[in-house]
Amino acid sequence: MTDRSLDLLQGTLDVLILRTLAWGPMHGYAVSRWIHDRTDGAIEIDDAALYKSLHRLEHSGAVEAEWGLSENNRRARYYKLTREGRRQFRSQESAWRRYAEAVAKVLAPA
Amino acid sequence: MAPLRGSSGQGARARMTRKLFRLPWRTAQRIGEDVDDELHFHITMRAEELQARGLTPEAAIAEATRQFGDLEDARRYLRRMDRGTEAARRRRDYMGELKHDIGYALRKLRSAPAFALTALLTLALGIGANTAIFSVVHGVLMKPLPFPHPEQLVRIWSENPEAGIEQSAVSPVDLDDWRAQRTAFSDMGGYWYQNGGSGVDMTGEGEPQRLSTAFVEPGFFPALGVQPQIGRLPREDEMHRGGPDRVTVLSYAFWRRQFDGSPSVIGRTLTLGGEPYEVLGVMPRSFAYPDDEVDLYIPYSTIPDDGIPRTRTNHVLDVVARLKPGLGVERGRAEMAAITRRLSEQYPEDKAWTGASVEPLRDVIVGKARTGLLVLLGAVAFVLLLACANLASLLLARATARERELAVRSALGAGRGRLVRQLLTESMVLALAGGALGILLAIAGTRALVILGSTQLPRAAEIGLDPAVLLFALALSMLTGLIFGLVPALRATSSDLQTALREGGRGSSGSRGQRMRAGLVVGEVAVAVILVVGAGLMTRSFLELLKVDLGFRPDHVLVVNYSIGDAHQGTRAQMRGYYTDVLDRVRAVPGVVAVGATKALPFRGSGERNDFLPEGMVLGASQEAPTAPYIYVSDGYFQALGVPVLAGREFARSDDDRAPFRLVVNEAFAKKYFPGRTAIGRTVTIGTEQIPIIGVVGDIRQESVEEPAEPTIYIHALQNMRSRANLVIRTRGEPLAMARAVQDAIWSVDRDQTITSIFTLQSAVGEAVARPRLLTTLLGLFGVLGLLIGGIGLYGVLAYFVTQRRREIGVRVALGADSANVLRMIVRRGLWLAGAGLIVGLVGAAMLTRFMRSVLFGVGTTDPATFVGVAAVLLGVAFLASWIPARRAARVDPLIAMRAE
Repeated sequence: MTDRSLDLLQGTLDVLILRTLAWGPMHGYAVSRWIHDRTDGAIEIDDAALYKSLHRLEHSGAVEAEWGLSENNRRARYYKLTREGRRQFRSQESAWRRYAEAVAKVLAPA
Repeated sequence: MAPLRGSSGQGARARMTRKLFRLPWRTAQRIGEDVDDELHFHITMRAEELQARGLTPEAAIAEATRQFGDLEDARRYLRRMDRGTEAARRRRDYMGELKHDIGYALRKLRSAPAFALTALLTLALGIGANTAIFSVVHGVLMKPLPFPHPEQLVRIWSENPEAGIEQSAVSPVDLDDWRAQRTAFSDMGGYWYQNGGSGVDMTGEGEPQRLSTAFVEPGFFPALGVQPQIGRLPREDEMHRGGPDRVTVLSYAFWRRQFDGSPSVIGRTLTLGGEPYEVLGVMPRSFAYPDDEVDLYIPYSTIPDDGIPRTRTNHVLDVVARLKPGLGVERGRAEMAAITRRLSEQYPEDKAWTGASVEPLRDVIVGKARTGLLVLLGAVAFVLLLACANLASLLLARATARERELAVRSALGAGRGRLVRQLLTESMVLALAGGALGILLAIAGTRALVILGSTQLPRAAEIGLDPAVLLFALALSMLTGLIFGLVPALRATSSDLQTALREGGRGSSGSRGQRMRAGLVVGEVAVAVILVVGAGLMTRSFLELLKVDLGFRPDHVLVVNYSIGDAHQGTRAQMRGYYTDVLDRVRAVPGVVAVGATKALPFRGSGERNDFLPEGMVLGASQEAPTAPYIYVSDGYFQALGVPVLAGREFARSDDDRAPFRLVVNEAFAKKYFPGRTAIGRTVTIGTEQIPIIGVVGDIRQESVEEPAEPTIYIHALQNMRSRANLVIRTRGEPLAMARAVQDAIWSVDRDQTITSIFTLQSAVGEAVARPRLLTTLLGLFGVLGLLIGGIGLYGVLAYFVTQRRREIGVRVALGADSANVLRMIVRRGLWLAGAGLIVGLVGAAMLTRFMRSVLFGVGTTDPATFVGVAAVLLGVAFLASWIPARRAARVDPLIAMRAE
């Protein structure tokens, strides 16, 4: 974990995962890579926290998990957004955007 | 992304499969392996990535693991989380399946309306009857009495072992001593109350009325431990002779009726028996003691000595007492035995009263009703059991028909547990619907029972469909569904379903199902036999009761119950004049044949028990004088009641208090004390006087229809004035039609005379046998129901047997068997089944009916006539139930039957 990485709030991690899975079903490693690549490594996610979050989302019904075959023919656990997950994502996403805008406004030079 | 899509499609199929066929859920071990696999996959992928960047395999894995973070903590967390997820899914799946099963069950039932309706009605009747009876049992037997710590309350009686008197009322003087010497009881209170007997006249509050009154001793309220709803209870000093004892406490019902529940009644003065009484308090509604017809509570000390003398020999009080916390009834018995022994040594009047009987209050209140209610509960449970057996039999038949359907579902992957659950859901849906319908029936049934049994059931006001009863109904419904559903469900899913599928629905297990149904029918017949035997015994007993010679003719007799007011009790001459005037005026009413009066009407009162000594009897040193009830009657009483005078004569008007004291005795008295001799002219010593017997009359049943008359002494009412009187009026026509004229005749003597009640003697007799009548009616109803259900069960099995054997029967007919042959075959089978059930049932009945002993009269619990009669009736029903399907079988056309395959 580099010092550039941001400390993530739990809810933020959730919304990132939901955003990522909105592209399609993925296994945990792919989610981790996806977020890393999209943020150019600015957000380095603790893998343990990522998996905890995934399983928590499964428990809450936001995602479903199935075993499937990975691109290199390994058995991998795939996560997929449920209808409920999509609904959660939409509401969290807009809340997060409003929050980020507000923070940006405060930080913006007057 | 393509491979991802592919695998996700696979996942969706797997999910569908789970929904359709309920694949097994993940175990905890499986969850652990999945978590490990997932984490392993992640580490491997990361390591490969690192390796591609040039790390050695070992270093790559180490770095991947380091990057992951706390692996052990994550593993524990994921496992815990996944177990929760799995449990939630299991619940969801289960609920989904349940919903599916219920929908399926409803569709199935709709597609077989005749079956569904039969089942529903049977269940509603069974559960409804059970709930109704249970609500009565619950209200009467199970609910705690409405007093604090009711288990501490007991009733106490004086006991005179020598005279064979186990439970006698208690002398107020003795009670004072008991109370002073008690250590095991926190308090004890006496009261004098007779329903319809003890009362005071209230004037100055509208029409004068006779109020039902309990005269209570100081310990009464403290022993029961109930505080008044408003106002206060009398202090101890307000309940003693000479104290400010003109005070009264009202019952809730009287307060509502007379004063509209107004709190301002406290402190008011009521004129009772011509004297002012201050109203101190009102008891709460639940306080219905000694019964729910009490209007007033008044200190017993207000009864003057010339009313009821306060002596040791006068046993008049009922006693209720409260044991100290933690002490049992046995402790109370021991203490009372010690106290009464001391008193009997100390006081010559108490010499023979050497003991006391102590019984829990609850047993005393519900005692007489208990056995009857429990017998009813048992009978009605049998009815439900029959209903269950019948439904199980129906379901077995259906299950056989549905073997193919079940086989298909099984072939598609449904496990046995799943199929059993589906079938059980069907029976549960039926049972719960039947239960709901049954509760509606029970509401009506309970109301009917309370009305029918109003004079027979103690605590009737506490009977109702409260939560406990509803819970009972619900539990009973579910149990019922389980009982009649489980056996068929297990059996239907146990056979080799693949075979069933191949054989095109003609199950290989057909004969096994047939055997099981035959077994059920044998059981049903047995239960029906027990029910009918119970009903038969009760009916026989009731008929015996009706056959009892009461000793008097109850038809065409009007009874007027009243109390002579204080205005007429000034002098003996005044009272005598009033008493005879009333008799004469009523006798003069057209249509009146004869008139007499008594203080104690048969079944409505007993005489006053006192000592006497018959002529010629010499008492040994330690011997007690015999006792007998003394009953005060007027001239003409025996004629009006229709009691034969066996020797001598009955009282004449001239035998009043100005003439010498004379006695009339009953036949039992004459036979016991003057055996083989004439009693006329003999004397009986009462007190110090030798009094001659002038007449012997026939025995009459005084206490109850069941108990034979005991030796009784009759005394002319004008020799020993009592204010309470029952006019016994024999009429030419319908007695109640004379009520108005009789009332007017009484009022022509005194316009202010209160009349307590007017009824026919016939109705009093009817009430005396009301409890056995109610029991007979209900048991009879259950017996008929049992016979009906058992008969239908037998019919169903045979009809099914015939349908199944059409081919065989066809072959037999084709081979030359004539229709009589076929008929005999089927009927023989039916009677064989019934016979087996009959034997089991008769044995069972012989074992069970002994619990009915205390409710039976004049008939043994194994009365051979009843058992033989029941056997005959049952075989008759069985014959009928077999003959109908047998006739159908006999008409089978062999060609059609064989082609039907």
